[in-house]
Amino acid sequence: MKKDNEKEHNRHKIVGSLLRNDEALEKVIASGKNVVVDFSQCNFISVAGLEWLESMLLKAGSGKAKVNFVDIPPTLYKVFKVARIPSILDACGSPIVSSVNPNC
Amino acid sequence: MPTTITEQDLGLMDQVNSLARKARLAAAVFSQYSQEQVDNIVKAMTIAAINAAQDLAVSACEETKMGLVEDKIQKNLVASEFQFHQIRNKKTVGIIKEFPEDNMVEVAEPIGVILALSPVTNPTSTIIFKSIACAKTRNSIIFSPHLMAADCSNKAARIVYEAALAAGAPRDFITWIDKSPRLRRVTELLMAHPEVDLVFATGGTHMVKAAYSSGKPAIGVGSGNTPVYVHKSANITAAATDIIISKTFDNGTECPSEQTLIIDDEISDQLLSEFKRLGCHVCSAEEVDKVAETVIDARTGGMNYKYVGQPANLIAEHSGFTVPADSKILLCPMLGELRRHKLVVEKLMPVLGYVTVHSDQEGINRALDINYAGGTGHTAGIFADDESVIANFSEAINAGRIIINSPTSIGGLGGVYNNLNTTLSFGCGTGGGNITTDNVGISNLINYKRVPRRSNFIMSFQTTKNLYINPGSLDHLRELKTKTAFIVTSKSAAKRGHLALVTERLPAHTRVDTFSEIDAEPDFDTIARAIKRMKQSPPDTIIALGGGSVIDAAKIIRLFYEHPNLNLAEVAVSFLDFRHRLAVFPQETSIQLVAIPTTSGTGSEVTPFAVLSLHDGEDPISLNVGTADEHKTSAQKRKVSLIDQVLLPDIAIIDANLTKTLPKDITVDSAVDALTHSLESLVSSFASDYTDGLALEAMRLILEALPAVLENPSNVLLRHKLHNAACLAGMAIGNASVGLNHALAHSLGVVFGIPHGRANGVFLLSTLPHNAKIPTKFTAVSSYPLWIADEKYARAAQFLNLPVDEKAEKGSSREGLKQALIVALRRAVFDLLQSCGQPKSIAELGISEQQFQKELPKLVRLAFEDLSLRTNPSLPLQEEVAQLFVEAYPPRSRP
Repeated sequence: MKKDNEKEHNRHKIVGSLLRNDEALEKVIASGKNVVVDFSQCNFISVAGLEWLESMLLKAGSGKAKVNFVDIPPTLYKVFKVARIPSILDACGSPIVSSVNPNC
Repeated sequence: MPTTITEQDLGLMDQVNSLARKARLAAAVFSQYSQEQVDNIVKAMTIAAINAAQDLAVSACEETKMGLVEDKIQKNLVASEFQFHQIRNKKTVGIIKEFPEDNMVEVAEPIGVILALSPVTNPTSTIIFKSIACAKTRNSIIFSPHLMAADCSNKAARIVYEAALAAGAPRDFITWIDKSPRLRRVTELLMAHPEVDLVFATGGTHMVKAAYSSGKPAIGVGSGNTPVYVHKSANITAAATDIIISKTFDNGTECPSEQTLIIDDEISDQLLSEFKRLGCHVCSAEEVDKVAETVIDARTGGMNYKYVGQPANLIAEHSGFTVPADSKILLCPMLGELRRHKLVVEKLMPVLGYVTVHSDQEGINRALDINYAGGTGHTAGIFADDESVIANFSEAINAGRIIINSPTSIGGLGGVYNNLNTTLSFGCGTGGGNITTDNVGISNLINYKRVPRRSNFIMSFQTTKNLYINPGSLDHLRELKTKTAFIVTSKSAAKRGHLALVTERLPAHTRVDTFSEIDAEPDFDTIARAIKRMKQSPPDTIIALGGGSVIDAAKIIRLFYEHPNLNLAEVAVSFLDFRHRLAVFPQETSIQLVAIPTTSGTGSEVTPFAVLSLHDGEDPISLNVGTADEHKTSAQKRKVSLIDQVLLPDIAIIDANLTKTLPKDITVDSAVDALTHSLESLVSSFASDYTDGLALEAMRLILEALPAVLENPSNVLLRHKLHNAACLAGMAIGNASVGLNHALAHSLGVVFGIPHGRANGVFLLSTLPHNAKIPTKFTAVSSYPLWIADEKYARAAQFLNLPVDEKAEKGSSREGLKQALIVALRRAVFDLLQSCGQPKSIAELGISEQQFQKELPKLVRLAFEDLSLRTNPSLPLQEEVAQLFVEAYPPRSRP
């Protein structure tokens, strides 16, 4: 028998380049379900793609849905690391490196 | 740069954060791009910049009111077209360089987000240059234009950005700060922003200082003051033309352009005439004063920025005199003390100072005066045909680019008159407060990831070339090619009859001299005396007849006889890397060395080692052949090791007949030394398949032959086995060296005067189990990637067919069997020592516990300094070394 939290998870695979919003994933997020986003088939992400991921995670967060990024190829994972967007790093399970604030 | 954010700044922070975030995301996305994608983007940007070169030049001149459109077009083309040609085939993604000889590659890593400050003098060309360089290196860039050139700068940035975007570049990888009164403040806030990875500042000294003070990595390139020496050997007409081309380029706004000419007196009239003929105005002394009043800011002593990039006639007019409207340059003789002349500073306008000089030396010194008046690290030039003066000038002047026989401004840009990297940013090195003297370009905008592969030591196996090995092999001496032989031996050799055996076998008519003064621990005085004797009748052959001390001494005698100026301190210096010596040993030798061992222990006849005793307090630096006699002897001694292949004898004669009369104690001491050689070389961090076989066979021969020899000392066959064992073990240590046991034994031997073999014996039952357990600290040697000392000991026990506990053999695990085999080896060593009556502990040597405890710190220190430790399979900690000494004191029981 599956555990409750496993039941609630949907798995969504991103295929090819993530250049803008992924409508199918947006619908799943809108449903308020937890989502596992599979990046194993994703080979490129644009600036707009990054921004959309951030906004999607913001929406999911406000709906209390949990989003996990899995099977991320190193090239993409490095993009996430260099971009330093906290919500994306959180979805990857990566510690969020708090950027050093300006010396004020 | 500590930046205090004020309330006024809060409104700016949105703009600052927005710019930084855009650049950050673009940098992240850019990291995915391939070389092909990047090159397509760069090509598109270059085409756009070439197409816009004239439009941007006009915009720059209109906005800045500096320079000439015609030259600014050229600058834009240099920044785009010329740079493109230089970088088009350069790799900036993935593996960018391979070093096959070093087994290493370089992989490019982008810098990230670059904040680029651009100047007023070269606004659009600098923007084009930096944009293309950043695209090529997958960085994102935020431009902070000079306020007086912000519109044309941002226009240039937009043109190349849009072309890049159309070619697939990441959105926002080029951004810029809009023109506003707060532009400077936004720049300061960005300099300190955490998302900015590098500040790349080109411009005035203030901007560059700010960049370096930002606390961020920075490339800041600033002002110069270019001296140009026109030497009498120069082509005068060509020099005049080049200088005019250069100094009038964009009305002198290029910072590498000529600021002061240093002209050889012999050619000054001719050169000045040529300048005049070509349309330059040579000022009178009065006019020079007026020009200086005008173009130099009396408050700062620097140039008046109002006249930067202005034409010569306008500057003359403002100075109070008139020159023809098309005058190219105002040439100003700088009379009086050059170093205090107002015009000694940088003048980015067609005002060119000059002085005349009477010699090369004076010429270079005056050039240095200009160079060190605000231009260190930047640019200098020389016109000369005389290579020696060019070389002297280049050696003396501190400049990142020293331009020969060409215009310094366009020459400095690179790619036109020479193959310097094309740039609009001139690194000035530490002389200019910069990190680099490069013509800054793509190579400065990459993080280089060096990826070295593991390199194995290239190991060799070397030993004495000619070995004669059976009893009776001393007869080989009858065939020895020698006319003058020098025999190095000890007094006992004559007593035991060995000397006569040798001399009677030497070919007839061989002139023989004998030096019999080698004792157990030869020192440098002895070596020097031997050399002195040799000089009386120079030999073609040295015959070393005796034990290890004699053969070692003969090696050193040959070395210092042939190379009397060698410094003992240098050749005996300790080392960690067995492949190299601090001092290069001379490899030439014309005297053959014949080694005839009369003991079966050290194996010195086949090793590249030689040990020499020094008296305590004796400084090896002061020791050479000429000074040795002056040194007094003292009771305390220490030992130094010389190690080099050149020390290897040429011939070794392993004739066991010479060992028949060896006393029991020396027989056992030397055999235990050889056994230690075999045990230590087997597990040495420099052991190889070549040395392992030698070590194992030596072990077998010693364990079998030594007890038998003691029962039947005159049996030559048994002595022969022992003699061979010592030689085989010598070959093993000659290539794999020894280890911990020798370090302990050397230390004990020096402190308590214990014979070397006997000292080795008292530690074997401690070092063997110590090296068989997983080390506290592994030794870091690339030729020893696996720690297998325990396996090797077990293998030795199997090879020696040693009995193991039946239980372990039948039922135990592999690990259990291995441990049982190691115990079997330890028992074999114990039993051998026991059967020979050899001491197995320090106490048995007659050293009182009180004496031992008193000397323990010294024992540990000496052992830890010993070279032998370096090849032990583990790196023992000092406390472990101490513990090994302590454990070795009490009498031992069988393992």
